[in-house]
Amino acid sequence: MSVGFRAVQWNRDKLVYDGILLAAVALFIAGFAAIHWQLHPPTKLPDAIDIWIRATGTCAFLMLTVILSIGPLARLDRRFLKLLYNRRHFGVLTFLVALTHFGFLLSWYLVQHNLPNLLTELTTWKDYAKFIDFPFKALGLAALLVLFVMAATSHDFWLLFLTPRIWKALHMALYVAYGLVIMHVALGIMQGEYTVLIPLMLAGGLGSVAVLHLIAGWRERRLDRGIAVSAEGWIAVGPPHAIPDKGARIVAASGAERIAVFRDGDEIGALTNLCAHQNGPLGEGRIIDGCVTCPWHGYQYRLADGCAPPPFTEKLITYRVRINRGIVEVDPQPLRPGTPAAIKCPSNLL
Amino acid sequence: MAIILFYGLALYALCGIVIGIAFVTLGLAQVLPHASVTAPARILWLPGAAILWPYVLMRWRQARAAAKTHRAL
Repeated sequence: MSVGFRAVQWNRDKLVYDGILLAAVALFIAGFAAIHWQLHPPTKLPDAIDIWIRATGTCAFLMLTVILSIGPLARLDRRFLKLLYNRRHFGVLTFLVALTHFGFLLSWYLVQHNLPNLLTELTTWKDYAKFIDFPFKALGLAALLVLFVMAATSHDFWLLFLTPRIWKALHMALYVAYGLVIMHVALGIMQGEYTVLIPLMLAGGLGSVAVLHLIAGWRERRLDRGIAVSAEGWIAVGPPHAIPDKGARIVAASGAERIAVFRDGDEIGALTNLCAHQNGPLGEGRIIDGCVTCPWHGYQYRLADGCAPPPFTEKLITYRVRINRGIVEVDPQPLRPGTPAAIKCPSNLL
Repeated sequence: MAIILFYGLALYALCGIVIGIAFVTLGLAQVLPHASVTAPARILWLPGAAILWPYVLMRWRQARAAAKTHRAL
């Protein structure tokens, strides 16, 4: 985790994930092109290239929609966590599909010997003030640039080098890229072709992403509101047996960070819900080999003090825990990262 | 206007490539003195170093200055 860097840390799960992803992308693009070819057989080379432009563009849009849906889906249903583990490979592949889309666009101009037309289209500044005839390709290029920056900085090194706060902010630009792509399609192909399929795809994609985020946010807010707080400010978590063994319950004081309260047999401890690696939701993870394990990338921490096991050096904020009248309570005041704070629970309460 | 934009982007990209290559070959040892980095990882980081070269250059200079201070002590 913090001692050496390799290009890609492959394991069996990642290979399976990437294999399925590549197969799905290849099948979609080939299937789209084959259907289009049958419905509108191309008579000239630019028409054939146009089919590939549409196939790769549609694929990239759908991949972006899926990527943005994975986060809220995983919060609503733990079965989607598996999709979350390798989301960065998904993102890099999306960039490559979008780059292929751009490559086909360039070749479309090149085979007709009118590449300068593309430059003229992009640099006719007065057209940027229009709605119809807006240079929509500039929006696609801007989205491609955002995806490039994200793909180029997706490795763990960049997380360390840029710091998690900057890295996370940079990667939130995915929402900007999605907005640019929607405008690219809405002001581009949707203006030229009167088919219901394109607005349906845009509205379906944007609508599903927005609804999933709203539902996930609403559910988490409702959970946060249901927390009881004692006169001293300690948060009631529930009886010890209500915390799943080798799992956690997530609590939060009003307006404060979420706290993951874990139980490992008779040991109870509270850690920040944010993993030191990528702010992954630790409380949705499990205790594996005696360590709290982040569901996103498997980073591990000791329950007793929030420290990663040697030789790793990451430390998490911990919280004081107590048992008051049979109820586990947690002090929302954070302790310094790596402070031992876990307690033993009397066996009669388990 | 278009010409200025084009040459501006080309200059940024050129600086990025030069600084990016220098960073992944020489700079990493100063920024991450205790980490081992494989050759494929360095190649993988080159596009990121090239596109974010002003930030990379700033951090590289900071790491060099910190190393000098450490040696002086």
